[in-house]
Amino acid sequence: MKYIKKVLGGELRQYTMVIALAALIIIFNIISEGRMLTSSNFQNLLSGNAYVLILALGMLMVIVIGQIDLSVGSVAGFSGMVMAIVARDFNLPWWVAVLIAIAIGLLAGAWQGFFLAKLNIPGFITTLGGMMIFRGGVIWISSSISVPAPSELKWFGAGYLPEWGPSFTGMNNSTLLLGIIGIVIFAIKQIQNYKHSGDITGQKDSISVPIIRILIVGAVIGYFTWLFGSGRPGTSFPVPGLILLVLVIIYHTLTQRTSFGRHVYAVGGNKSAASLSGVNVKKVYFLTMMNMSMLATIAGILFVGRSTSAGPADGTSWEMDAIASVFIGGAAVSGGVGTIMQTMVGGMVMAVLNNGLMLMGVGADKTQVIKGFVLLAAVAFDVYSKGSRNESIVGKIFGKKN
Amino acid sequence: MESPFILQMQGIVKTFPGVIALNNVNLDVKRGTIHSICGENGAGKSTLMKVISGVYPHGSYSGDMIVNGQKVAFKNIKESENAGIVIIHQELTMIPELSITENIFMGNEIVKHGLIDWNEARRRTSELLKLVGLTDSPDTLIKYLGVGKQQLVEIAKALSKNVSLLILDEPTSALNEDDSANLLKLMLDLKSKGITCIMISHKLNEVAAVSDAITVIRDGETIENYEVEAGHVDENRIIKAMVGRSIENRYPTHESKIGEVVFEVSDWQVEDPRVPGRMLCKNSSFTVRAGEIVGFAGLMGAGRTELMRSIFGRSMGIYQGGTIKLRGKEVKLDTVQKAISNGVAYVPEDRKVLGLNLLDSIKKTIVSANLDAIKTKKLLDFNKEYAAATHYRQSIGIKAASVNAGVTSLSGGNQQKVVLGKWLFTEPDVLILDEPTRGIDIGAKYEIYKLIHELADQGKAVILVSSELPELLGMSDRIYTIFEGTITGEIDAKEANQEKLMKMMTVTAS
Amino acid sequence: MKNKVMSIVLATAMMATVAMTGCGSNERAQQAAATKEAAPVAEESAATEEATTEDAAEASVASDAAGFEKGATIGISLPWLGTQNWKEAEVMFKEQLEAEGYNVIVQAADQKVPQQQQQIESMIENGAKVIVVGPVDGSQLGSVLEQAKASGTYVIGYDRLIENTTGVDGVVQFGSVKTGELQAQALLEGLTKEKGEGPWNIELFGGGPADPNAPNFFTGAMSVLQPKIDDGTIVVVSGQTDFAQCATVDWDNSKAQSRMDSLLSGFYADKEIHGVLSPNDGIARAIITSCENAGQPIPVVSGLDAENESVEWVWAGRQYSTVAKPTDALVSKTVEIINSLQAGNGMPATDVLTNNGKIDVAIYELPPVVVTKENAKEAFANDPGRLELLK
Repeated sequence: MKYIKKVLGGELRQYTMVIALAALIIIFNIISEGRMLTSSNFQNLLSGNAYVLILALGMLMVIVIGQIDLSVGSVAGFSGMVMAIVARDFNLPWWVAVLIAIAIGLLAGAWQGFFLAKLNIPGFITTLGGMMIFRGGVIWISSSISVPAPSELKWFGAGYLPEWGPSFTGMNNSTLLLGIIGIVIFAIKQIQNYKHSGDITGQKDSISVPIIRILIVGAVIGYFTWLFGSGRPGTSFPVPGLILLVLVIIYHTLTQRTSFGRHVYAVGGNKSAASLSGVNVKKVYFLTMMNMSMLATIAGILFVGRSTSAGPADGTSWEMDAIASVFIGGAAVSGGVGTIMQTMVGGMVMAVLNNGLMLMGVGADKTQVIKGFVLLAAVAFDVYSKGSRNESIVGKIFGKKN
Repeated sequence: MESPFILQMQGIVKTFPGVIALNNVNLDVKRGTIHSICGENGAGKSTLMKVISGVYPHGSYSGDMIVNGQKVAFKNIKESENAGIVIIHQELTMIPELSITENIFMGNEIVKHGLIDWNEARRRTSELLKLVGLTDSPDTLIKYLGVGKQQLVEIAKALSKNVSLLILDEPTSALNEDDSANLLKLMLDLKSKGITCIMISHKLNEVAAVSDAITVIRDGETIENYEVEAGHVDENRIIKAMVGRSIENRYPTHESKIGEVVFEVSDWQVEDPRVPGRMLCKNSSFTVRAGEIVGFAGLMGAGRTELMRSIFGRSMGIYQGGTIKLRGKEVKLDTVQKAISNGVAYVPEDRKVLGLNLLDSIKKTIVSANLDAIKTKKLLDFNKEYAAATHYRQSIGIKAASVNAGVTSLSGGNQQKVVLGKWLFTEPDVLILDEPTRGIDIGAKYEIYKLIHELADQGKAVILVSSELPELLGMSDRIYTIFEGTITGEIDAKEANQEKLMKMMTVTAS
Repeated sequence: MKNKVMSIVLATAMMATVAMTGCGSNERAQQAAATKEAAPVAEESAATEEATTEDAAEASVASDAAGFEKGATIGISLPWLGTQNWKEAEVMFKEQLEAEGYNVIVQAADQKVPQQQQQIESMIENGAKVIVVGPVDGSQLGSVLEQAKASGTYVIGYDRLIENTTGVDGVVQFGSVKTGELQAQALLEGLTKEKGEGPWNIELFGGGPADPNAPNFFTGAMSVLQPKIDDGTIVVVSGQTDFAQCATVDWDNSKAQSRMDSLLSGFYADKEIHGVLSPNDGIARAIITSCENAGQPIPVVSGLDAENESVEWVWAGRQYSTVAKPTDALVSKTVEIINSLQAGNGMPATDVLTNNGKIDVAIYELPPVVVTKENAKEAFANDPGRLELLK
């Protein structure tokens, strides 16, 4: 038991959702007779959900500071529409249109951040207003008619990494390279940690711990590299997935390894105490809201790229998917709790559930009901396991052997 | 046949997973007395009260509870209230946006034909208010009442339920001296009306003043249970029983090594942000030397906290003038960040509300005010964080399994040490301590006092704000008194006594 | 205690999941058997298709006619099931295709574009040979449908044009401009019969702008109405005659009703309204309700879809007309195309081509039928369900 704990590196509880996710994938794969774990399905899964997961990155931070952003869907729709319209009507190159869209996202975020930080209007109300303003805006500027997007954007929303190099690898070499980089970085990190493990306690952990970790994680990354890389020729790890991956690394570092990240958690945990510890609460509010809208814009751009045109209803109720991902990932409504990684797992649980039920031919109506139950069950489980001193279900299973 | 005891508890045992909270506790409370229960924090007093009031239902503990000679088995609070037992908790439970009447009859509404009879409720409320000595209108919203009056409304609410046994948990912990005295008077008044009171208190002078009987609990066990004569109580006997050892001197001895003036505040002016024109601090000037502990005495609301927080990065009130000099050089500390980077630290009075993020672990809390110190290449370095936290855990004696433990799992005294550790990690020259020992038991207080002395010996300028005059007298080298936002006097601690201070704290400087 | 509550919550959630997925999994079993055999064929055609996607026109009309076996998987992706015609389509597709021996997946996207994208992807994943798409937004399925093409699947648009993509082989629909013309003619006929001498006061309503048919309906209608407006026979009192002004976002009845409310209070305080051009039945009923609430005599109102409630209203004389676009005709035509593809005959020939922004798409147009009180019995002679309503 203790050894398992050491390999996992902390509380078993935080892995409950990861295990649930793995179980879901395996169960669906069995029921659907192998159609879950296929290259094309996972490529679709990632490019079809990248936009929600990107929103969830920003939403996690918003929820951690104890606020909520209801406007993300509208902002995504609005900035995507602006991008499509300026590209069409002013014949701008696609990247200028993208920059304009991101600028609009930053402005929208600054606008909401201003009301929250400077005027002390709760985020719920600020962004409820924003939701209406930007939804109205997108319908207004588009006259409710879809606008085709620059075709280059399709690469961002639904594209694949280039094919190059030798063919004996049997898979897409870009994907292979990505997988190898991932494994190597993980291994280096583990070895570094191992070297430092004795610094304070004076007693080094057993060398087998990092080795087992590297083997397990290496196998998982290796499998997914193969899965993504061995699809139909011309396909690979999808571009939106790569964008998501880069953003996850950036935001994981931002929240865990920078002062700003610590300040975000401090403000959410106890605003007054944070302020008396030298945290500029207003600045944290402002930047977090601004960041959220910027990510909403990126999500909107990816979606437009995938849809090949911007529609008046783009983004409707996306905020709800993002919020659900964050809470399934174990964040607290009152703020201060939640991590980027857990949120990504939460979002993937939703995505896999959606995808798996669809593969099984379950209708949207029932899928919705099931997702509702899963959200409630996940949060109830989380509240329950935090409230009691008992170990999680996982802990109980393994605890017997102790 | 009527039993002389209103409440008897025999062999009460209450366990939580892994912990025995109450171990064979016995308690006999005579009708018509004031019975004090003393014990250190965590001794089991609150658990015992929760057993009495039915918060922990019958069956979740073992042992017998006998009320008026009859065995009882309360399943919830309602049942204990029906038996005439009402508990008033330390944290007030009034709803600020509702009126006195609405609060008093909350959950107990007077209903006529299915509708609330507000006229009757208001009439009964004004009767009850008279009983507790309040003259406010029954329609006054709770938020407009001070803490002292709110406490009295709580008692009025208890009286509305035909209480025969009133339990008060730390009733004066949030009250100033006047309100405390008032409350004790009311308890004596209730006693004369035949209502029995159980009081839990840390303030031994209050216990000594009113008690007819005292029970001391330590580590979940009854240590002593004896009758006393109010006004003639041996406080040392109580202390000895509480801590299991005799504390000859509650304050450690200390030889001050006082140096140059480090911190100098002149003509400090702060306006109340809620009431334009009203000054929170007027022309306040004071100095603190290296290695010196300077006390600030004042009644609650006198402006002590306001003065300190406005100095600390103008985090309270509207700055209207005044200068701060650090080691003779004028500095402008207009944000908390600047105050911290200039070596000023402020340990706030309410650690749970202002000092701690209760979601954090010990290590995250300790580094939280000085994140730059644990960075490697602009990113936070968890090894440095762990090392820093471990250093303070050892040097200031935080009792915890590891620095990864959450701060909620700590006792009040250890939480306060974590907050101190957090501020020491900013390496301050000037350390402002606002009520550093509030709500902490005697043993932990002593350790904090020793820590304060050590800090002074390291050459830090220490400002100590406290409502407890003995603490100020025991700890400080010099004491300033504040009244209505003005510094009314300065006195060497060796020449001061409680009477002198009280006089200076209440005289208006013209 | 707490433990018990938790386990009940969890157990309920799980049971619900199992119960709901249980019904799906049976179908899956049969289907899986079918697709396994089909798999190699799919891969082959994927390779050949890929080469030709660039040359879109060729790919769409002159598909290489490989055909596939009976019993292959057919995906039907509908926008939602919130109106009668889509619900009927769901049932009929299932019945007719299963009768032909196909394995059918029908899914509805609840009016959400991302959901429809994912559903189509899962159909590709399930090895569908033909995917019939009634799009939520005709222009937002570009990359998904191209992906379908790339994996060798035929894509047939159903009821609505699919725009802005090369990934479509043909569209089966009622002539939408023709439908608009019929609506306007019915409106004029009704005005002459019921509202005496002109000039008549009318208002115009359009459908959901995201639906590519909606502007076509409007254009068709205006081609009939504009001459009458110009010669003063009819007057659009509000002056709102642009599609953008008259459109009803998402075909939302409540939005139409509030627009009608404000038109009536704004322009008809001292006038009578004689007629309203309505693009479908739901909006027609909203308009009629609004007029009744405003105390106006019921105007002549056109409609579309022959929804049950409107059929009753037509029969009762409250709504003047509706246009039946018999779902069975649309479904039969689609099934006919699927059968042709199955047999290896490719897409049937058609002379109507429409440019969808990327390529010229083959359109299979069907004629709609105007229904008024007079011809209702004949119009629904083959539709016992609706005939039942005419009593």
